[in-house]
This record gives sequence, C-alpha cells and structure tokens, in this order.
Amino acid sequence: MSRRGRDALLGYALVLPSLLIFGVFVFYPFGRNFWLALHRTPPFPGLPSKYVGLHQFGDVLGSEEFLKSLRVTLLFVLYTVPTGIVLGLLLAVLAHRELKGIGVYRTVFSSTVATSVAASSVIFFTLLNPQVGLFTYWLGRSGSLSVLQDPKTALIFVSITTIWQNLGLSFILMSAGLQSVPDDLYEAAEVDGAGARARFRHVTLPMLSPALFFAAVVGSIMAFQAFGQIDLLTEGGPNGATNVLVYSIYRDVFTSGNDGVAAVKAIALFVIVLVLTLVQLRFAEKRVSYAR
Amino acid sequence: MRRIRRILLVGVVVTAAATSLVSTAAGPAGAASVKCPVNALDQAKSKPVEIVMWHSMNRANEETLQALTDKFNASQSDVRVKLVNQTTYGDTFTKYRAGLSSGDLPDIVQLKDTELQGMIDSQSVVPIAACIKADKYDTTDFIPRVLDYYTVKGTLYGMPFNVSNPVLYYNKQAFQKAGLDPNKPPATLDEVRAASQKLVDTGTTKYGYAIKVDPWYLEQWLSKAGLPFVDNGNGRNKRATKVLFDNKLGVEIFSWLDAMVQDKLALNTGTSNIDDMLAIGAGNAGMTIETSANLGTILDVLGSGQFPNVTVGVAPMPGPVGKGGILVGGAALYVPKKSSPEKQAAAWKFIKFLNEPANQAQWAVGTGYVPIRKSALDDPTLKAAWAKTPEYKVAYDQLVTGVNNVATAGPVFGAYDDVRDTVVNSITAMLTSGTDPKTALHQAATKANEQIAAYNARIG
Amino acid sequence: MRADSALVAHAGVAADGRAERRRRRWKTAGRYLLLTVLAVVVLFPIYITIVNSLLRPDQIAGHPPSLFPNHPQWHTYRIAWTSGHMGRYLLNSAIVTTLIVVGQVTFAILAAYAFAFLEFPGRNLLFVLFLATMMVPFEVVFFTNYQTIADLGLLNSYGGLVIPFLATGFGAFLLRQAFLTMPRDLRDAASLDGLGHMRFLWRVVVPLARPTVAALSVFAFLSAWGQYLWPLVATNTEKVRTVQVGLRQLRDTSLDNVNVTFAGVVLASIPLVILLLVFQRQLVRGLTAGAVKG
Repeated sequence: MSRRGRDALLGYALVLPSLLIFGVFVFYPFGRNFWLALHRTPPFPGLPSKYVGLHQFGDVLGSEEFLKSLRVTLLFVLYTVPTGIVLGLLLAVLAHRELKGIGVYRTVFSSTVATSVAASSVIFFTLLNPQVGLFTYWLGRSGSLSVLQDPKTALIFVSITTIWQNLGLSFILMSAGLQSVPDDLYEAAEVDGAGARARFRHVTLPMLSPALFFAAVVGSIMAFQAFGQIDLLTEGGPNGATNVLVYSIYRDVFTSGNDGVAAVKAIALFVIVLVLTLVQLRFAEKRVSYAR
Repeated sequence: MRRIRRILLVGVVVTAAATSLVSTAAGPAGAASVKCPVNALDQAKSKPVEIVMWHSMNRANEETLQALTDKFNASQSDVRVKLVNQTTYGDTFTKYRAGLSSGDLPDIVQLKDTELQGMIDSQSVVPIAACIKADKYDTTDFIPRVLDYYTVKGTLYGMPFNVSNPVLYYNKQAFQKAGLDPNKPPATLDEVRAASQKLVDTGTTKYGYAIKVDPWYLEQWLSKAGLPFVDNGNGRNKRATKVLFDNKLGVEIFSWLDAMVQDKLALNTGTSNIDDMLAIGAGNAGMTIETSANLGTILDVLGSGQFPNVTVGVAPMPGPVGKGGILVGGAALYVPKKSSPEKQAAAWKFIKFLNEPANQAQWAVGTGYVPIRKSALDDPTLKAAWAKTPEYKVAYDQLVTGVNNVATAGPVFGAYDDVRDTVVNSITAMLTSGTDPKTALHQAATKANEQIAAYNARIG
Repeated sequence: MRADSALVAHAGVAADGRAERRRRRWKTAGRYLLLTVLAVVVLFPIYITIVNSLLRPDQIAGHPPSLFPNHPQWHTYRIAWTSGHMGRYLLNSAIVTTLIVVGQVTFAILAAYAFAFLEFPGRNLLFVLFLATMMVPFEVVFFTNYQTIADLGLLNSYGGLVIPFLATGFGAFLLRQAFLTMPRDLRDAASLDGLGHMRFLWRVVVPLARPTVAALSVFAFLSAWGQYLWPLVATNTEKVRTVQVGLRQLRDTSLDNVNVTFAGVVLASIPLVILLLVFQRQLVRGLTAGAVKG
C-alpha cells in the first residue's frame, strides 16, 4: 500500500476510539431523545410506547411545570452569572497590585476552586439548618422556617452557595484577563492624565471585554446545567422554587419514569445551550477580525 | 445488548397483543395464572441455591437484617442468601426498572409501599398469593390490615416485611412544665391545637407543634376517618382514576394546618425528617408527628444527653376519629418472575423464614418495625424489649385497633410519588405563599387527577 | 537670605514629601484592610467547616456559636474515614478520575495527531463531528446513557463511571491547535531520521506540546473529580461510589453527628487543595484555556 494509503488508514485508526465513544454516548442518545420525545413512553420496559407526534412537545413545552422550571433556571442564571463576574473582577482588581504578600491573598481568593459543588453545597446546607445552623443564627431565623424551605428565599440561597463556590474560578479568569492587558496602555493613559477610575473605564474594561464575555457565556452555560447544588440543598423544592431544568429532567426519569417527557425537556435544554454557544462563537469570530 | 434489544422487541409485540385484550383492571387478567414453584428446590441440580436480595436498610436495621440472613444461611444447606444494599428505596426501584430491560434483576427485592400499582403493572413478579396457595401456607396469624395493604383484586402481590406508621413524638418535660398531663397526650387535631396553645402561652416552647410537610399524613388522616383516598375501592376493585381527598375532611385538615401556622402555634419545618425532631430538642416545639421507623434513632439522639430538657414520649398519631384506623407503611418483599424456578422456591423459603414468629420478634426488637403476626408478641425477647421500652409498642397497637375496611387497606394507584409531590407542593404553597386552604386542596386534587390519568394512559 | 529661603523651600518640599508618604501609608493600610476583610469573608465557610469538624454537636448548635475548637474532637475524622466510608470514596474517586484523565488525554492526543498531521478523506467532516460533541451537554443525554450502561451490565462499576467520558472533543480541538503551531520541517526532519508517525508523536510532538497537555490534564481532572450527576445515577453502593456522592450519603447518615459530615467535607477537599497549591500555574492555564485567546 502507498504511504498515503497507510497514512489514511492510520488517521482513521487514531480517531476511531473517540468516534466509537461519541457514537454510543453522544450521538445515539442525542438521536434517541427525538424518538422518545415523539412517543408516550410506558412506566416500565416491556409495555408499548405510543407514537404521539409533536403533541408531547406541545404538552410539555406549554405545561405550567416546564415554564416554571424554565423561569427558575433563567432567574438562577441571572442571580449567579453577573454577580459572580462582578465579584471576581472586584477581587481581581484589588489583588492586581504590587503589594507585599499579595500572593497569599491571591491564593485565598482562588481557594474556593478547592471545593467541589457537592462539598460547598453540604457546607451551606448544614450552616443553613433552621434549628442549629450558624448562618441561620446570624440571619436571625433560628427556630423559624428554613430559608431553604421558604419559596421566597430558597433560590437566593442556592444562588449564594453557587456564587461562593464559583468565586475562585471567577477570580482566576478575571486575573488572567487583567494580566493580559499591556502595561504601556496604562502608562499612556496616565500620561494623558487619566485617574484610576478613568483608566479602569477606558483601558481595563475594553481590554477585558473578551474575557468578560467569555465568562458570561460559559458561566451561563454552566448555570443552565446546574444540578448538584439543587439536589443537595432543596431537591427542587419548595414547591418548585428551585426546580431548574436539569433537576426537572432528572425527576422525570428517576421518579416518574417518564422518558418521553424528559426527552422533550432535554431537547429544549440543548437548544438553549446551542444558542449560547453560537453567540459566543460569533463574538469570538468578530473580535478576531477586529484584531486583524 | 442487541440480543436483549431483540428479546425486548419480541416482548413488546407479545405484551402489546396480550394487554390489548385486557380491560383497565387493577390487576392483569393473567395474575392468577402465574405459578409459584414452591417445590422446585427438591429438583435443584446443585445446592445450595444462591439467591440475591436487594434491600435498602441502613445502620441498625441493616445489621439486624444481616444477622437474620446469617442465621438462615447457617440453619440449612439448600439456600444461600446474599444481601445487596441499594441504599434507598428510590435507588432500588430505579435499578429494578433498569434491570427489567437489561436483565440484571435480584431474586428478592424490597420495595416501598407506594410501588404496589407499579409492580402490578410491570407484570414482572410472582404474586405471593400463588406461593401461599401452592404451599398451603397459613396466614391466619398475620395482622389483617398488613396483608390487606398489598392485596389487590383478591391477590396478595408482595409479602409485607418492614411495617411502620406515623406516631406522635412529644416532650414530656415540656408538657409537665406547661401544665399538661404528660401521660395524656393529644389524640385529636383539636387537642393538638389546645396543647400547643398551652405550651406557647406559658412560654414553655416557642411553638407548640412542628409541622412536617409529609403527604403520608394526609393519607393517614383520611384513613383514620374511614375515608378512601382514591376511587374504585381505594384502587383495589378496579384501577384508580382519581383522588377523593377534596372533601369536607380535606378542607378541615388543610384549614387546621393553615390556622396553626397563622396563629403561630405551629412551626413549618418543611419536608426534612430531622428538623422537626431538632425543633423539639431546641425547645422550639413541644411535639411532632414522625414515622415509627425512626424511633430508635430519635431515642438515641434526643436521649443522648445533648438535650437535657427533653424526655421523649410516644403516642398514637392524633387525628380524626371515625370508622377507620392507621394505615400500613414501610416496604414489602417481591419475587421477580425472571428467576429460575429453584431460585423462586429458594426466595419463598427465605420469606417464610423471615415470617417465623421468633424471627419477626428479632426483627422488631432490632429495628423498631412492627411484627406482622400476632404470635410474635408471645416471644420472650420481644416481650422483654417492649416492657423495657413501651414506646415501640405504640405503632403495633395502632395497627390492630380500629376497623379493617377498604379505607384502612390503603390506596393503590399509579403515579403515587408524583401525587405525593403535588400534595407537598400544595401544602407548601398554603403555608408559605398565602394560598387559602380550600384553593390549595382543590389545586392538589386537580393536579393529582391529571397525573393519575397521564399514568393510566401510558399503561394503555 | 537666599540660603535661608532655599532652606525653607527645601524644608517645604521635604514636608510635602513626608505628607505624601504618610498619605500613601494610610492608603496602603486601607488596601490591606480591605483585602483582609474580603479574604476573611471568602475563607469563612472553609474555616468554619474545619472548626465544626472538631466541635461536639451541641457546641455546633450552641448559641453563641463556637468559633474555635477548645477540645478538638479528632475522632470525627476517623469515623468519617471508616464507618463514613470516606476512605473508600476517595480511593474510588482517585481511580475513576485517573482513568478518565489518562483516557481523555490519550484519546485526544491520538485524534489531534490525525487531524493535524495526517490526511484522509473526510478528515474535515470528522473534525466537525468532534466539535459538534462539544455542543451536546452531558445533561441532555445522561438518562439514555444510564440505560445503555445498565444494558451493558456496567452499573455500579468503574467501567460504567469511566467509559462514557473517555473521548473529548474539547481535548482534541485544543491539542490539534497546539500541534498545528509546530513547524512543518519538524515532521520532515523526523521522517529523514526514520521516525514513523507514532514515534514522532510520542517522542517529539507530545513533549513539545507539554504545556497544553498539562493544561488539558488539569482541566480534565477538575472536571472528572467534581462530577456529581453521573456518579449519582450510575452507582448504588460504597463499592464504587465516588467522593462527591459520598458526601451526600455521609450527610444523610450523620444527621445526628453533624461534625462527622464536616470532617468528611474536609477529607474530600484535601486532594483539590493539594492541586491548588502544587499545580497552581497549570491550574490557571487549564482553567483559562481558550478564555483569554478566545
């Protein structure tokens, strides 16, 4: 066989393992979602599925439960993403100085990277216990309705847990962004007589905008996929106040045994994330063309 | 995997053909014809026959189950039982459902009470009634209500194993301090309110009663009043199609809960199964309703010295008075059809062992669950344990008092967990978001009926 | 006269300098104060976790709360490790995460090499397929994967936890980019030296791409270590349960011994703390991979 033929065979061989895994665990389940979404699935295997066409899409996407879940998810994204970025930026700016021992502060601000979603959720769950939790005590709500069982506050505290847990990552991203701003731009601005605030507005922010945008989009995608903290803090309650999309899908499958409904919601989730990803790609493209 | 898929396809076609002939009965027409091969052990080619049991018992309960299993394995050489702990009832059921298509199934599975309709609809088990019939097994000693719970259209599907029900936990010291008789705890909801008023007025506790938002309690209160929870004979004559709690009693119960919170006589501790007990420990409440299954843990924790102001008292669950009684709760043992005949026979042998009075006594003493047969009460170990800690007897007494009728047999219907969620959500909305009791109750019933109808439609 | 005024002028300038220095010192002190306050706020949950793991349950519940353990209850760590199964959970996480990282990096290196250095029909289409997988979040496909793993008999096993994650589109994309920046004559020189593709890959290309490989490894490690949804559904017993789901299990079974739960959280976080301290640079690069460059 020619060398080109051998190269081609090698090429296929090298991508084959990945393709196999993708085929079984990405493409097949993705396609199966569409089949499931078009059928009313039985609660048990062995019983027949009934083809219902797009009716199930309509039923699910128009259902009060789905719309509430979507609203809760959007609120969660709104609570956690901008706040996380702003706080991360604030910490990054404050730690971006030539002070002695600043490295210690930088490590502290990054430290929440060392807690996983599960760890931080368990910590906050216990600290928010209505009878014995320290945070509950500080909030003056000891011996009252738990903040996690109160529909008015449950999502807020799930968000606070998430913001804290993501703080380290946000700080690292913003710091990296700050470090990439060339010093001579600051010097030039200083020479022009710009004060600290003006320098921040006219040099830092514009140069950071790609990193900010990236953090916003990736943060939103991650927020749409949130699951662990809900499972550990509120299990979707109270009364659906924290029933984000992924948790809703999880319950459809593992509590109700209703794969068809779950598949419709999964497709909705996919579309949302796809739109966000495409937005990010378009923006990255535009920025690259400006840089040229 | 392809072979399983092909078998599944054939199974689907056959089942579709078969079920199209069956009316919307609560149980498939073919249930009576499933046989239990109780004598297959004699023909087993190699002994001991090994069987696997999936359960979700934890801590002391798991230790007791293991002890009984070891005792069984050591006592004979025909059968060896291997226990596999699947951690929670939910996990066990999820795995079981996955196993129905992957083929990974145990020979005995412990599933919680509310899975009954699902297990019938899955058509995947040998009804225990078949084994009882084939073996001429005598069940006259068994507590009737316990067997009634798992009997649908005359067929007993699962063998009840761990039985519990809700009881009142109260702080005797707080009662004393508030001028209430610690030996006469409240028996009706009005009495709970009156006692709460006393506790709050005297400043003994911050609130009188800790409300755990548990849908099980609504089912129990209806049953105590002698009212069925769903239609069609509580789902036992025909498949249930709707809930029946949107009635006068339902409104009274919801209104009572709402008023207790509005009047600051009760604390809403949500769905947590520890916060209500912690509230008693912290002096924020004087009593609550919790399952008898947690009695051991509760006595340990509240009696640990950490809470010197608490002496735990246990009493029957307060509620409406009527031609009814408390419901069975807990879980049962099922025998999957897929197992070979000798494994099914082995499973039946182990189940009979667990039912023996001495073993029932050992199980009750080690866990706090209720024995399912009356002669267990003659066992000296049980007698001694219950004399020492009479709190354990409360759950049993509740089960044998009152009337045994269609209400106290308990409800059977599909989408049970979904309906329970709906009840929880409605009560939560009422207690935290200002929905009025009548509306909350009605919303719960409407949603529940939709969920039951959707489930029934998926069964075909 | 002029000397006097010069002295006065000089003194004036010196006085201004001193005032300026004093102002700067206040400003710096203020900065340190702000930084410290924020650091305390950020660190507090971690701090209180460590403290609570060493308190008795009644001290944790006590009012006013204890902020320092005077009689440290070290035994909570032993309980969490043994009857709380944290030792087993950490082992499982270590095994599963290592397998995933090694698998992902290897599969990605192989695929990236093919995309960067080899030519074969349909190469661009296949690369697009790889990229497409990045658009499909795991949460969209997890329940079908659950059934697939169940059908393969891999529930509650290391295989079930590892196999679905062996391939990564992101990794292939990242490494392909890194490989493409290598000069063409490198390959020509290698083939003159008689190096076949595989030797060229492992002896030349991978060492040159070490920073990217390290960054990918760290990213993959963090991602695999923190997984929650998949281990939750795919495991049932402590035999293979990983540390994240183990924390849930520990919390639920230690409701009356909350200090044990806190000890478990500390134990579960130690590997990541080590990662943060030892591999900080690679960590930052891994997390920002693709971010700053866009």
